[in-house]
Amino acid sequence: MTAPAATGRRTTPAAWVAAHPWVWSFGAAVVAWVAISVIAGQGLLGTLSGTLGLVPFLVLTGVGQLMVITLGNGHIDLSLPNVVTLAAYVSTGIMNGGTGSTLLGFAVPFAVGLVVAAVNVGLVLGLRVPPIVATLAVGLVLQSAVLVYTTGFQASVDPGLVAFTRARVLGLSVLGLLCVLVAVAVGFVLFRTSYGRAVQAVGQNVRAARLAGIPVGRVVAACYAMSALLAALTGVLLGAFSTPNLDLGQPYLLNSIAIVVLGGSLISGGRSTVTGVWGGALFFVLLLTLLDVLGVGVALQNVVKGALIILVLVLVGADRRE
Amino acid sequence: MTRAVESRPDSPSTPAPPSSGRFRTGRGPGGPAEVGQLLGRGLPLFALVVLFVVCAVLQPGVLTLSGLALLLSPAVPLVLASVSQMVIITLGDIDLGNGALVGLVTAVVAVYLVDRPLLAVALLVGIGALYVGQALLVQLRGIPSIIVTLGASFVWLGTGLALLPIPGGTVPAWLSGLMNLTTPETENYVLPVPMAVVFAAAIGLLAWFLLIRLPYGAVIRAVGSNPAAVRRGGWSVLRARMAGYAIAAGFAILAGIALAGQISAGDATTTANYTLLAVAAVILGGGQFSGGRAVPFGAVFGAFAISLVASMLSFLDVPSSYQSAVQGLVLVLVLAGRVLTDRGAT
Repeated sequence: MTAPAATGRRTTPAAWVAAHPWVWSFGAAVVAWVAISVIAGQGLLGTLSGTLGLVPFLVLTGVGQLMVITLGNGHIDLSLPNVVTLAAYVSTGIMNGGTGSTLLGFAVPFAVGLVVAAVNVGLVLGLRVPPIVATLAVGLVLQSAVLVYTTGFQASVDPGLVAFTRARVLGLSVLGLLCVLVAVAVGFVLFRTSYGRAVQAVGQNVRAARLAGIPVGRVVAACYAMSALLAALTGVLLGAFSTPNLDLGQPYLLNSIAIVVLGGSLISGGRSTVTGVWGGALFFVLLLTLLDVLGVGVALQNVVKGALIILVLVLVGADRRE
Repeated sequence: MTRAVESRPDSPSTPAPPSSGRFRTGRGPGGPAEVGQLLGRGLPLFALVVLFVVCAVLQPGVLTLSGLALLLSPAVPLVLASVSQMVIITLGDIDLGNGALVGLVTAVVAVYLVDRPLLAVALLVGIGALYVGQALLVQLRGIPSIIVTLGASFVWLGTGLALLPIPGGTVPAWLSGLMNLTTPETENYVLPVPMAVVFAAAIGLLAWFLLIRLPYGAVIRAVGSNPAAVRRGGWSVLRARMAGYAIAAGFAILAGIALAGQISAGDATTTANYTLLAVAAVILGGGQFSGGRAVPFGAVFGAFAISLVASMLSFLDVPSSYQSAVQGLVLVLVLAGRVLTDRGAT
């Protein structure tokens, strides 16, 4: 996508890195990885398998957020964490320790996600409420929905699904492989299909996109739907991986945005990298592990996270000054 | 759309050239625009009156002086936070860290103000300086304020939690005494007005003075509506944005001090919903996300109205689990209503 135009000049490594901003996040992830191994005194591989459990969930929410952020024009999905939490409870409630339908345990959360997306899109496109406030308000309503739904909540997670989220094939996490597939699929859609080009076109210049005959409304709606569906999937899987709780999705509010930014996608839309979401997620989880290993408390981890996002934006921000 | 129309420097309704220090003096008299604007101006006060009447019907006790004071005083910190958010929205930005910042300030007050007042003041000044630093990032690096402040919100929250992991601490007696006064009183005279109203009037007047009365206030407002005109007029957009952020920081810090006094403790997490409530108050009060429209008293009335919604819900015995849903719905209704009245006005 963003590869430098081959104008006869040889591509220097520096130019290649500039055109592939996700390299930074992977580089940072490797640094954090080595640092943890040295400090914790474990082997490199031991560190990896011990810490990466949460990366797939980060990647799923991050990819969803990426779709919406790529749209630019202030599009952002702040209802995502509440969809995660609600989906985890709803799916657990339906499957109820393996006694209920697994199909419905996935289908109903997906349907909830689609309804949320429809409301988000209705508010943003129909009533022209700014996305940040619309999705935040929808998130608040979902927060109440969770509280109401969980009053007297008894169900337990489905042992089959728990086994699935922890399963390993040839030493690799099945969930991780699933997320690689999702990321590859989204990457394919974003960069190799006309729909993906339309998303990026909307993000780069919505007026030009409209003049070019792109159905902007439909493109926007599809991105919000993708974000909500991926959040619902995250909720179902995360609910089984760790048990559902009221704050299950909350960390994914900032984290999903953070890994998009850390991965080198433009927060203002129009330029995205799915690979970067992986790099960002790896770096993020490894960094938090590193802080844990160093004995930094949860409170200060928040400070580091926030400061890191701002720092990355300061470094990247210069690229898009006109 | 509205912004472009209102702020076009050569538009006939803004006769003063940019260099005179006044960018917008409002539209010309008469016409549907004026009516729409009047409707918009009246909306927060109207909403406030309706909500107050509903509260009074549900709970006649609020009609006594002490009842009224009880009803209104919890709103004072939110009024301050809303005015802070109003300044940022006037600049065309948004602050998602507003609530976390107020929480951090309550923590600083509750942990240090009694034992080490100088350190507390220094910390508050430092927080204010960091807050103004956000303006630098927005202006110089072109980073959207929504992301800067979202990142900053975690810095505020984390610092607050590090200072005060669980709610508590001590607050100076004078502060909790002041914030829990029913009415302004001296030894031999009691003014029969709830203290909250006095605070609100002072807050509104201060914000009005800074943003509307002071000539430089016009520059700050113009950053939100027409930064190019600010530049052409010879002013620094950066400096004006920093001034706006400094004013906003001041009000947010006052919000934290007021809240700490009210609850006689610090709590880094209790104010998380202030961010959204304050945005709702500003929009209800007539502010616009596109910036440029400063509404000091609109924000004050809007904050009271939003806080009365919570009181009304408790009078109606609405279960607490529904409260955030109602807040969300009110916010959407307010915004959708605003979009409609603004459309009518232009």
